Amino acid sequence: MESLPIRVDRTWLNDFLKNMEQESGWSTWERYRLALEAAELQCIPDFDTLRCLEYVTGFEPLPHQIETAQKVLGQMKGRAILADEVGLGKTIEAGLILKEYMVRGLVKNALILVPSSLVLQWTRELNQKFQIPATPQKKEWMWDQYDILVASIDTAKRDPHRSKVLNRHYDLLIVDEAHKLKNRRTKNWQFINEMKKKYTLLLTATPIQNDLHELYNLVTLLKPGQLGQQTSFNTTYVAGKRKPKNEDQLREEVHRVMIRNKRSDGHISFTKRHVHTVRVTLSPEERALYEGITQFIREQYQSNRGQLKSLLSLITLQREVCSSRDAAFHTLFKLFKRESDGLESLSPEVLHLAGLLRAVQTQSKVNEALRLVKEINDKVIIFTEYRATQDLLIRALNEHNIYAVPYRGGFARNKKDWMREIFQTRAQVMVATEAGGEGINLQFCHHIINYDLPWNPMRVEQRIGRIHRLGQSEDVTIFNFATENTIEEHIVWLLHEKIDMFRTVIGEVDTILEKMGLKEDVEQNLMRILIESKDDQEIQVQLDKLGDQFASAEEQVRTEIEKREVLMDGTQSS
Amino acid sequence: MEPNQVRSLTLRYLEAYDCHMIEKHPDYIETRLSIEVDKDIIQRPFYWMYVEKMGLEPQPATLLFTFEPGKAPSGVREDLLTSGAPRFQQMLRSARNHGRFVRLYEDKRPRLLKEGSLPYEPWLVLHYQVSFLCDRKKDHLISLGIDLRTGAISEGFDQQLQGRDWTHKLPDRRHTLPSILSIPEAVGELEYWLQGWIENQDLTWADQAMDQLNQELAQLHAFYPEEWRMSDELHEEKKQRLRESIWQYHPRVEVETVSAGLFYLTPTHP
Repeated sequence: MESLPIRVDRTWLNDFLKNMEQESGWSTWERYRLALEAAELQCIPDFDTLRCLEYVTGFEPLPHQIETAQKVLGQMKGRAILADEVGLGKTIEAGLILKEYMVRGLVKNALILVPSSLVLQWTRELNQKFQIPATPQKKEWMWDQYDILVASIDTAKRDPHRSKVLNRHYDLLIVDEAHKLKNRRTKNWQFINEMKKKYTLLLTATPIQNDLHELYNLVTLLKPGQLGQQTSFNTTYVAGKRKPKNEDQLREEVHRVMIRNKRSDGHISFTKRHVHTVRVTLSPEERALYEGITQFIREQYQSNRGQLKSLLSLITLQREVCSSRDAAFHTLFKLFKRESDGLESLSPEVLHLAGLLRAVQTQSKVNEALRLVKEINDKVIIFTEYRATQDLLIRALNEHNIYAVPYRGGFARNKKDWMREIFQTRAQVMVATEAGGEGINLQFCHHIINYDLPWNPMRVEQRIGRIHRLGQSEDVTIFNFATENTIEEHIVWLLHEKIDMFRTVIGEVDTILEKMGLKEDVEQNLMRILIESKDDQEIQVQLDKLGDQFASAEEQVRTEIEKREVLMDGTQSS
Repeated sequence: MEPNQVRSLTLRYLEAYDCHMIEKHPDYIETRLSIEVDKDIIQRPFYWMYVEKMGLEPQPATLLFTFEPGKAPSGVREDLLTSGAPRFQQMLRSARNHGRFVRLYEDKRPRLLKEGSLPYEPWLVLHYQVSFLCDRKKDHLISLGIDLRTGAISEGFDQQLQGRDWTHKLPDRRHTLPSILSIPEAVGELEYWLQGWIENQDLTWADQAMDQLNQELAQLHAFYPEEWRMSDELHEEKKQRLRESIWQYHPRVEVETVSAGLFYLTPTHP
């Protein structure tokens, strides 16, 4: 090295001379020693130990996450694509890397661009797990005022935000869901390309969705020229629309800038899922109520055709009655009120239903839940869709001296953490109305009871994902309650037996639904089938059809995934 | 860092900065902070602004520190200090801030000195944190002393200061020998010495970083078309990418002064 630039800080000297002149401002020997010891503690004498691990709170990073961080900081020099399969902790890896750079003073400001739905979650995780003072971007002035910002990419790329972002120099840029940068002609890609940045992390589980050019665009954004110019890339690596050539060479080039951990890698172990359907027979009174409501819905459907919206709330009633009498009571009460608010007198149908509801004294499902919880004799999380059912269950469990805590979306963050804490340390059961964001993990629990099921497979998957995730050391057992001869039985059959939902790997469900064109409205679709079918047999036929569609979409998705895997590393996906 | 190390450093810090010790239990320390420490390790600038504006009696916080989780007496809110805890890092920063400059006289009673005065030799002692940077970073702490009368420089001078007693006032019957070098001159000498020291370190890392940088620049030059074929935007983009590579990789050294002390030592051979 001929001339290594050296910068020596001398800003202290004036203060020191002032102290001498004024004979004041001197510290003591002990304070002087403490300053030196503090400096020694904060001094990092080598390039490559991970000091960030000291700061990690509340969890243990897994070996593959630590290795990934080391590789990105070392060989890849802070510009990398993190392409782990879903659920392996890309956020953790990015957090480790960011923290390490911050501890060493190499990163003072960073921008984390994520889909808007994930802004708060990212902020929370960085703060809680890594003690990184990240702030969610909310107002325009914040771009200049904060060092670590988490923002939505859609906001950032639009004026007036855009020019603020483009004016700053970012020591580190993290982009989550980076497959949105696969097309060079999009605003997203051009925006990221224009930004001034030192280190860059692009996070995506699917670096290739359709063809090689997506990968080329991603890598070029990260390190222009890494895969050569577009034309030379085409001649060297592209044989046809979806066909690569010189694959080994391509893979080698890509792996210089991309890390992809997979479930099938030996060192990452997922435990098994065991799934059981628990059939519950309704008591004669419950049966009468269910039939009464079904009858009521049919009549309503025939009398006011076309008014689908009000019919949907009736289907809800039918679902609720499968969950509990209490859940149905609320909806029925509302119907009741709506009618009595008007001038008409109460319709005999509603009065009849109210009578049936009153007749139900014991609830078969509750008894089954109590029996099962006692039999399991270990921590259990019970999921239900309905508040009323939740209250009912907590009451029933407590009456039987089983300590149960509630959990729901409306709880403040603190309360959520607190409930989780009690569940971990003292309670046997948690009764939850929602799966909660990524924030909560309940790996210490190995049993799930789906007291009733959401009709959206994504939400089913989220429930299971709270428990069956990386870090779970034991097999997980899932019990799905199905009341016999009800719509619930149909749904459980569809989700469990027909499409084997409970075994589908995390992260694929949404892709499959998207492929079916059903991403947003699975529930609506199911309701329509239930309303429009003449009888049980037709329902069965329709659901069967839907199941077949799901299976073939799943098949397609899997084939695509396999193709991509072969392209990226020559192996099969897990 | 082990919990007991965190504990002992915390204890020393709290005592050195006049915090009132309520209980020193093996598992925890309970203390009422001094105002100075409260301002440094608890972030509540508005409280302090309010108290000072209104002329109120300040109420510094009482905290209970633990060093391993769950060691607090039940029902008490614990403040867990680990080496990575933000509060502990704040203590370190606070300690570094307030302990930077000292002027001390060696406290040694001269034997059998009835009259006259014993001289002190003046030394300037600096602690430097030398950081070696490229896309990565490592630090080195170095302690240097310079004899202000001769200009002689000694590395690892901190050793020489250990095991002596100090006082901040010039004791009776002592006088300081005049310095030949002014402080800025002495600092200049130390910096010059430090430069030589840095150049004598193993600088393979810097060579490697330079090679890497050149590779990156070459890759960029190969990627972008010839100058005359580029639009203004593309030209600007290329310039930006080149700047980023330099920013990321260029090897350099940054030196920060951790502490500076003026020490008056009793000559070994008076």
